[in-house]
Amino acid sequence: MTTAATTRSAPSHLTRLKRRTGGGEALVGFLLLGMLVFIAAGAPWIAPHDPEAIATGRVLGPPDLGHLFGSDALGRDVFSRVLYAFRVSLSVAIGSVILAALIGVPIGLIAGYRGGRVDAMLMRPLDLLLALPALLLAIALIAIIGPGALTVLVAAALIYVPILARVVRGSVMVTKQMPYVDAARARGVAERSVMIRHVLPNSVGPAVIQGTVLMGFAIQIEAALSFLGLGAQPPTPSLGVMLSDGRDVLTQAPWVEIFPGLAIAITVLALTLVGDGLRRRLDPRGMAR
Amino acid sequence: MSAPLGTPATGRVLDVQRLGVRFAVQDEVVSAVSNVSLTIDAGEIVGVVGESGCGKSTLAMAIMGLLGSTAHITGRVELLGRDLAGLTVEERRQVRGDRMSMIFQDPLTSLDPAFGVGDQVAETIRAHRTVTPAEARARAIGLLESVGIPAAATRYSDPPHRLSGGMRQRVVIATALANDPALLIADEPSTALDVTIQAQLLSLLRDQRDARGMAILLITHDLGVVAQLCDRVAVMYAGQLVETATVEQVFRAPRHPYTQALLAAQPSAGLARGSLRVIGGQVPDLSDPPPGCRFAPRCPLVRPECDTPPELLAAQPGHSVACWADPATHPGAAATASSTGAPRGAAA
Repeated sequence: MTTAATTRSAPSHLTRLKRRTGGGEALVGFLLLGMLVFIAAGAPWIAPHDPEAIATGRVLGPPDLGHLFGSDALGRDVFSRVLYAFRVSLSVAIGSVILAALIGVPIGLIAGYRGGRVDAMLMRPLDLLLALPALLLAIALIAIIGPGALTVLVAAALIYVPILARVVRGSVMVTKQMPYVDAARARGVAERSVMIRHVLPNSVGPAVIQGTVLMGFAIQIEAALSFLGLGAQPPTPSLGVMLSDGRDVLTQAPWVEIFPGLAIAITVLALTLVGDGLRRRLDPRGMAR
Repeated sequence: MSAPLGTPATGRVLDVQRLGVRFAVQDEVVSAVSNVSLTIDAGEIVGVVGESGCGKSTLAMAIMGLLGSTAHITGRVELLGRDLAGLTVEERRQVRGDRMSMIFQDPLTSLDPAFGVGDQVAETIRAHRTVTPAEARARAIGLLESVGIPAAATRYSDPPHRLSGGMRQRVVIATALANDPALLIADEPSTALDVTIQAQLLSLLRDQRDARGMAILLITHDLGVVAQLCDRVAVMYAGQLVETATVEQVFRAPRHPYTQALLAAQPSAGLARGSLRVIGGQVPDLSDPPPGCRFAPRCPLVRPECDTPPELLAAQPGHSVACWADPATHPGAAATASSTGAPRGAAA
């Protein structure tokens, strides 16, 4: 970004970092995301107040030095609550994508590699899942299991399994045509090893990219469900719950609404930037650099 | 390095009898390879030449057992006296990369980009031998050095894209030699490389043959490569062998009209501008090939007998040809179309 004065023989650390992460914006994304994860992990130490402590003296208090983001209708510190809510949201986002990947990636790999009837048997039920509107599916699941952050995580994972499986299947179908896959078979590598050692590593790129985008999307799903009262239950702070609370006092105390909204926007932005960077980095055409 | 099946210093390594490969493509059946008989002895380099699409690579893939389930294979392929069609899937896997191995055309894409080059050699060893990872690594480094990769130990973990094309093809050769195969199939091993590197690789293949006594089946469209490297040649046209002979015989006295036309079409340095010789006509559609000799529609010597397929018959020791117009195999060729020349199978 800045004047990275590079000599041809020795690129500066910044240039090398930019290249490794896939461009300047991606670097910003990675830094932002790193900071957010750090904040989420360190919330108990960073938060100046107890996020659930009610202070009747500070109802809808405007932002000041002691309460950076002001306080809400119950006098709770919005800054502390955003930090804790962020913890919940980020865990749901990361957890749901990991859970979905654990199920979806193997399904996509086997379906794409074997093809034919195996493919049909594995993918048809997932297509069915894909046909249902995501939010409806989540709400149905919550109706069965009951609301809560963990349910939201499982619901998001359920929505993501067919998406990730499709992405992996698609790239596996391309990869398995590559000469090095035939070459591995010609060397006598067993089918299962060909699939796991040669096809999978060359096919996960698009799924990794998709995964980061889905994480951003999970933040929004979590917020949406919590906003509807189906996600994390009070008094657990959640970005969606905070948005819902803030809506009622939007005209008197906009800070209650604005800061959780900003937190969502920044997180989704960071994840999108990282996804873009990964796309550039993992794109097969960029491989030879 | 002991091999379970044993590598005979002499004797028959590969015996292909009447091999046919058909692909069912939608409602059409394409016969990519038909009635190909071929033998290779230990230490021999046999070239299969023919133009693009004549079935050379399909022949190689069929021998390796790498054609998918869409291919319908007939005939016999015997490796070291064992019929490969009778083997289970797992037994075939054990043969691949061990008793026979294959080098693919493009070294840029036949190595896994996500793997260190040395790891791919070691993986080949470990797929067939029970050795510790450290042993496999040591052997892989030795192999890489033996095919001319300098500082193999430091190159071991490099991904393929860090190596030049020629170096990559050397790595590919190292993976193919990893378990001391009796048969090495090389499918256009030097086509993707420039001419100087090509010469180096061909001499590397010859040196490895001399050192290990393995048989090599070299698939190429380049007659120059054949002349440099091969002992015997099989000429393929539209999925069939039309002539098999020693290199000398083919270049001195080609018998089949197609071989003659192919040799005549070779450009030479003294050729005047614009005077390239071509073979008139087109390669037949393999989903609907001519009923008899497949070269007949383009052949200058075409005659009525050509409507029945000619057998590959010995014209003289070591030289066989499949042509009704050949005076040695069909003495009364010009007379009538009644000759049915008792097929004696293919002579090697």
